[in-house]
Amino acid sequence: MVAVPSAPPPRRAESPLRVFWRVLRANPLSLFGFLLVAVICITALVVVVAPHLIVPYGAQQQTGPYNAPPSWKHPFGTDGLSYDVYSEVMLALPLDLSLGIAIAGVSLLIGGGLGLVAGFYDTPGTAAGVGSVSVMRLTDIFLSFPSLILALAITRALGVGVVNVAIAITITWWPYYVRLVRGEVLAVKHLPYVMASRAAGVREGRILLRHVLRNVLEPVVVYFTLDIGTVLVTYSTIGFIGVASKYPGPQPEWGAMLAFYQSSGSINVYPWLVLAPGAAIFVTVFAFSLLGDGLRDILDPRTRRAFVRSTSSHDPPPEAVSALPSAPDAGEGAPSPATAVGAVDARSAS
Amino acid sequence: MTDPVLEVDHLSITYTVGAGTFQAVSDVSLRLYPRRVVGIVGETGCGKSTLAQAIPRLLPEPPATIGGGRIIFRGTDLVKVPKRQLPMVRGTGIGMIFQEPLNSLNPAFRVFDQIAESIRIRHYRDMGWVKSFQGGSAPFDYSKPPPLPTVSETLSKPFLPSGAVGDAARERLQSRSDYREEVLQFLRLVRINDPEAILDRYPHELSGGMRQRIMIAMALSEKPSLLIADEPTSALDVTIQAQVLTLMKELIDEVDASILFISHDLGVIAETADEVGVMYAGRIVEYGPVAEVFQSPRHPYTKALLKAAPAHYKSDGPLSSIPGNVPNLSRPPSGCRFHPRCVLAQAVCKGEAPPLDPVDPAAAGDPFRVHRSACYFASEVPGLP
Repeated sequence: MVAVPSAPPPRRAESPLRVFWRVLRANPLSLFGFLLVAVICITALVVVVAPHLIVPYGAQQQTGPYNAPPSWKHPFGTDGLSYDVYSEVMLALPLDLSLGIAIAGVSLLIGGGLGLVAGFYDTPGTAAGVGSVSVMRLTDIFLSFPSLILALAITRALGVGVVNVAIAITITWWPYYVRLVRGEVLAVKHLPYVMASRAAGVREGRILLRHVLRNVLEPVVVYFTLDIGTVLVTYSTIGFIGVASKYPGPQPEWGAMLAFYQSSGSINVYPWLVLAPGAAIFVTVFAFSLLGDGLRDILDPRTRRAFVRSTSSHDPPPEAVSALPSAPDAGEGAPSPATAVGAVDARSAS
Repeated sequence: MTDPVLEVDHLSITYTVGAGTFQAVSDVSLRLYPRRVVGIVGETGCGKSTLAQAIPRLLPEPPATIGGGRIIFRGTDLVKVPKRQLPMVRGTGIGMIFQEPLNSLNPAFRVFDQIAESIRIRHYRDMGWVKSFQGGSAPFDYSKPPPLPTVSETLSKPFLPSGAVGDAARERLQSRSDYREEVLQFLRLVRINDPEAILDRYPHELSGGMRQRIMIAMALSEKPSLLIADEPTSALDVTIQAQVLTLMKELIDEVDASILFISHDLGVIAETADEVGVMYAGRIVEYGPVAEVFQSPRHPYTKALLKAAPAHYKSDGPLSSIPGNVPNLSRPPSGCRFHPRCVLAQAVCKGEAPPLDPVDPAAAGDPFRVHRSACYFASEVPGLP
C-alpha cells in the first residue's frame, strides 16, 4: 500500500490566480492595461460572433450622409462614401488584433525555439555548435535587411493580400526573437543554479525547459507583448502603402483605412476620418504595452512579493499574516530574513 | 579496511582557451573512504574547484579536457562514462554543494519545488522508471551491484494506470504535493526551524545560511554516497560558517556519505576534515591527517601558507607572505612547481617533479595515518623558520 498523506497540509501555497490579482491590484497602470486588453479581445470576439450587438452598419454599407461629423448616430462620423467610420473601425478590429498576435506569436515560437536551442547547445566543435553558429549567421542575414523593405519585397513576390503580408512580416520578424532568446539563454545557462541542477542529475532537456526557459521567460514575454503593438504598426504601415488589403473593401483594415482617408485629402477638412483608425491602432498598442509591464511584475517572484507586501499594509492578506509568526529563523540568531526582506521591499516599492 | 568510495588516479585536466592550454590539474591522486572528510586546500587558481567539478564530470568539455587518469566511483571509471549517461552518476551517486548560495538556487522556484525535484529524481530511479547508475541510491555496496532489470521485467511493469496498477505505477503517479512529507523531512535534517513556513518561500527571501542549508538538503535528498562541497562556506560570515560546518559534520554519520571538502580557508579545513590535501599550481604537494599536516608540515609551501594565514592572537608586525607569484599554468615551472618561490630549492627541484611519497614509511600502509609530501627535502621543512 502506498503511503497516503494522512493529514491535509496545514498551509497551502497561494494560488497563482490570487497572486496575479494581488500584483495587479497593487499596480493600477498594469491593471488598466490588463482590463484594456481584455476589453479589446472581448470586443473583437463580439464583432466576430455577434456583430449586430455593437456594430450598427455592415462593411461598405451606405448610410446616407456624406462626410458627416461625429454624432450620436455616427460616433466617428461618416466618410465620403457615406460609410459609418465607427462600424468600419470595429469591423477591422478582429483582423488587426489577430494579425498582431499571430505574427508576433509565430515569430516567438520559431525564433524563440531556435534561440533557445542555439543558445543552450552551442559547445564549439560539436554538431550542435555548428548548428548554433548556422542559425545565428542565418539570423544575421535576415537582420541585415531593413525589415519593412524586406517584408515589402516578399509581399511583392507573394502577391498582394492579407495572408501574404502576414507571411512576409513573419519571415522578417523571427530573427529578433532568436537574438533575444539566445542572449538570455547564454546569460542564464552559466548561472550556478543550472550547474547545481546538472549536479543533481537533472537531464539536459529538462534543465533547458524547466530551469533555463523559466528564467528567460520574463524578458521574452514582455518583449512579445510590446511586439504585438509593433507588428500592428508595421502591418498598418504596409497597409498604408497599399499592398496589404484594399480599402474600401469587404474587409476593412486600419492601415488601409488610414491610407485611403489620408490620400483622399480629407485630413484637414474631415479630421475624424484619419483620427478614428489612428486612435484604434494607438489604443491597441498602448494596451499591450501596459500588459507587458504588468506581466513582468507577475513573472518575477521578487517584484511579485514586493508588491504583495506593500499592499498588505492596507489590507493584510491571509498569506502575510501567516508569514509573520514564522519569524523565528533557522537558529541563526539573526532577525528573520524573510521579514527583513519584506520590510525592505515594502519600502522600495512604496 | 573497506574499499574507497572514490579513487582519483593521476588525473590531469587542461583548459584550452584561445591558442593556449592551461594545466589546471596535473597528476592528482586521491582516495576517499566511507564516512571520511577529505579537505583540499590551496590558494585561488590552484585547481581545487576544477578538481571538484571534474569528479562528477561537470566541467564543460570543451574547453576543459581530461588529459589522463581515472576517476573510479562505485567501481566505474567516470572518465570513460559517455556523456549521455552522466546524469545517472550525478545526483544519486555524487551530490554537490556550491559556493554561492544565492545563485545556486533557481530564483523562480519555491524551496519545496527545488528539493522535490531532487527527491523525484531519486524516486524515479528507485522505482526503476529511470535507468539508474548501479543501483540508484541503494547503500554503497561493492560486492553485489543490483542486476539490471531484464526485458520481461521491464515489459511487465504497467505503463498506464489501467485497472489493476502495481504499487510502482501508483507511486509514480503521485503528484508533486505528495513529496511534501519527504521534503519536510530533509528540511528538518538540515536543522531548519519551522520548515513548513520555509516550503513556500522563494530563495531571495532566505538568508545566506538558510540558502546553504537548502542546498545541503537538496544534495542530501538524493542520498548520494559522496558529497563534494566546493567552498560551501566562503560566501558566509563566520557565525553562519560555524553553523554550516557543524551541520555538515553532524550529517556525515546520519546520511552515511563521504565528503570532499574544498576550501581556501585553513581554519575551515582544520575544523572539518579528517585528511587534507594541499594543492599548489594544479598538484597535490602534501597530503595527510589534518592535525599532522597543519602542526608539522613537510612541504615548504604548506609551511609558508600556514605562516601567511592571519591569526587573531597575533597582531605584531606585518603578515608574512610567500615571495613571488603563482605560476602561469600555461607555462608551469619545470620539476617542482614551487621551486621558483621556495627557500629550499636546489638544482634537483628543477628537474623531475618530486613524487608524493610518504614521509614516514612505517605509516605508508594506513590511509588514515600516512603523511605524504612532494618535496625532495621534506625532512628539512620542520627546521625552517
